[in-house]
Amino acid sequence: MFHWLEERPFFFAVGVFTVVSFAGLIEILPNFAEASRPTVGTKPYSTLELAGRHVYIADSCNACHSQLIRPFKSETDRYGMYSLSGEYAYDRPFLWGSKRAGPDLHRVGAYRTTDWHENHMWEPVSVVPGSIMPAYKHMFSNQADIETAYAEAVTVNKVFNVPYNTNITMRDGSTANVKLPATYDEAKADVLAEAKIIASGMKNQDVKDAVERGEIPQIVALIAYLNSLK
Amino acid sequence: MELGQIQAYAYFFFTAFLVVSLYAYIFHLYRAEKKGTRNYEKYGNLALNDEVSTNPIETVGGAREPLKK
Amino acid sequence: MGGNQTPLAYDYTVARLFLYATILFGIIGMTIGVFIAFQMAFPELNYLFGEYGTFSRLRPIHTNGVAFGFTVSGIFATWYYVGQRVLKVSMAESPFLMVVGKLHFAVYILTILLAVVTLFAGITTSKEYAELEWPLDLLVVVFWVLWGVSIFGLIGIRRERTLYISIWYYIATFLAVAMLFLFNNMAVPTALVSGHGDWYHSVSWYAGTNDALVQWWYGHNAVAFVFTTPIVAMIYYFLPKESGQAVYSYKLSLLSFWGLMFVYLWAGGHHLIYSTVPDWMQTMGSVFSIVLILPSWGSAINMLLTMKGEWNQLQSNPLIKFMVLGSTFYMLSTLEGPIQAIKSVNALAHFTDWIPGHVHDGTLGWVGFMIIASMYHMTPRLFKRELYSKSLMETQFWLQTIGIVLYFSSMWIAGITQGMMWRATDEFGNLSYSFIDTVVVLHPYYTVRAIGGLLYLTGIFIWAYNIYKTITDGRKLEDKELNVNRSPMSAN
Repeated sequence: MFHWLEERPFFFAVGVFTVVSFAGLIEILPNFAEASRPTVGTKPYSTLELAGRHVYIADSCNACHSQLIRPFKSETDRYGMYSLSGEYAYDRPFLWGSKRAGPDLHRVGAYRTTDWHENHMWEPVSVVPGSIMPAYKHMFSNQADIETAYAEAVTVNKVFNVPYNTNITMRDGSTANVKLPATYDEAKADVLAEAKIIASGMKNQDVKDAVERGEIPQIVALIAYLNSLK
Repeated sequence: MELGQIQAYAYFFFTAFLVVSLYAYIFHLYRAEKKGTRNYEKYGNLALNDEVSTNPIETVGGAREPLKK
Repeated sequence: MGGNQTPLAYDYTVARLFLYATILFGIIGMTIGVFIAFQMAFPELNYLFGEYGTFSRLRPIHTNGVAFGFTVSGIFATWYYVGQRVLKVSMAESPFLMVVGKLHFAVYILTILLAVVTLFAGITTSKEYAELEWPLDLLVVVFWVLWGVSIFGLIGIRRERTLYISIWYYIATFLAVAMLFLFNNMAVPTALVSGHGDWYHSVSWYAGTNDALVQWWYGHNAVAFVFTTPIVAMIYYFLPKESGQAVYSYKLSLLSFWGLMFVYLWAGGHHLIYSTVPDWMQTMGSVFSIVLILPSWGSAINMLLTMKGEWNQLQSNPLIKFMVLGSTFYMLSTLEGPIQAIKSVNALAHFTDWIPGHVHDGTLGWVGFMIIASMYHMTPRLFKRELYSKSLMETQFWLQTIGIVLYFSSMWIAGITQGMMWRATDEFGNLSYSFIDTVVVLHPYYTVRAIGGLLYLTGIFIWAYNIYKTITDGRKLEDKELNVNRSPMSAN
């Protein structure tokens, strides 16, 4: 009866599939419910922040920057408190990265400012001499895609019950409520109001003018996202 | 029983089962060859005698005639 | 077959098409790779093509180009060659499978070209080796299913009862990639749910830690089932054939096949050591990575022993050189990987350049060399021409070997240097170096790496030229001259 499989392609394929899918069944599937609970103080991204996240993804910032602080003293000294699973509850996709050509960014919002990011994205060596990061000047003139960001917020709210328009308890005991308007026009107005706060901390006159005209340059959205990483 | 426990038992027994099956299979192959009932190493020649004009080592049962030289 | 006038012959139409694709995507993917390697050493190179020329925009095009362009075309090309031969059935016997094969090629090329365009435009999901958005994912599913039809269709009409070792590995590649790809790319198209925004945008089905878990279960096993199993399929056919030596042990090949199938999938967790995934999964990933040495070395040793008593061929035949060094690099990287998966080593190595170094001694040394050798072996049979130049092959071999050595040695030093500097503290326990110190110090190693890559790329151009000249100018061969194991090649 042996030498049986190599003559029977169907059963051979079944055998291979059983053996390879076993790891997935045991390791991956059963842990889903547990790992996805948010920690206290984790709130969903605003529409502007999501648009910034899309900019981050479109230019593959994650190719060089991680968002995962490992539990070592050398990492917590450099980047802050080590990362917790629940902090990523609203990260779709996750952006941990796999290589640090540049530093970790998981808590970059805690120690960098709008002003610093503006200078850095325009000309990295102006704030970090010796940096090998490219300048991203196109982000100062290209427009962020607010409508797609809004579409994503609506989608995760509907499909995955991400808690928009819900009171969320923050670490200091206060409550936060991330708004998600029912119509895109309302959302645009909210995004613009949020963008104006970012732009007021910036120096680039073209960007300031653009926001005054009601446009959202990519850099404004990106900085909103980076500032939200704490 | 919790899900975690079921997972652990399933993992342990299925792994043990696969390991035993694999070694039984291999043991069988070596023993059959030693007793001279089968020669498995001839299948290694499949890569060498692979012209369409050469005869298969074993044909697929009945459906097709082996090719003649 | 009774009454057939012309003798039956294998039909390599589709194999030829994929051979062209392999060479084309090899050149594109590796040229971009060398370019971005120079960008890391000389950042001014980021500004040659505006927003489309930055390192970050180009990196996914490099990885996708070499993995899903070069490697996957190579896999398909060898399938449409090896499959017919070891099953002893010609595609000319089945018009249906012929149409499937051509359609497979057409959909595949379309998908890869669209992938290049969309990645340049910054349309990406950001998940490594799964960057393509959902419309392209659907196209991938289409050509993958067509490949499956081709595999099982050809098996269904085979003459040889027993499936040869290579066929096992092609089947495993097909099934495992299908499963991994489907699960990892689960996403919800946002425009369909909300009625707003770009129609091609989607959001991942999984969030945060779960997403990471699924992604690296996929990412690690994409390495297993794109860079390992199909390449093992190649070596089990091409090395015995080229050397005229039957595989050393059929039984050992069985043991290592099933061992690899079971163990590989568990090792994905080693990408997530010290992350926020549950601890037992990290340990499992670490332990199984060590166990993985056994089946990997089983195949590699089987290949080296196949050459037993025939080592003189290593000197006389450049194709044997490529394949033997390929399996040696396979042994090196399947030992290096498990070492990096040990928790304490991983703490140092993770996020550093040692990881790209490890990836490249596997991909350049093992995957690249095997595909190069396989295409060289197939070319005389596909075009009935003698290989154009043996000496060019020798030159290519040595250039590329030096290139690989420069690549991984510089990345070992760079990775360990950077890992040590990140954790270095002074006598008071303060960090000794700011992050930028650990970047500036790498400049010489980045330069050496880029030069190593350039040498390898030069070899790829020599390979393309040699095959081109074979097709156009090689001496024409009679059928009986092709009925040999060793590939016919011109002495000069």
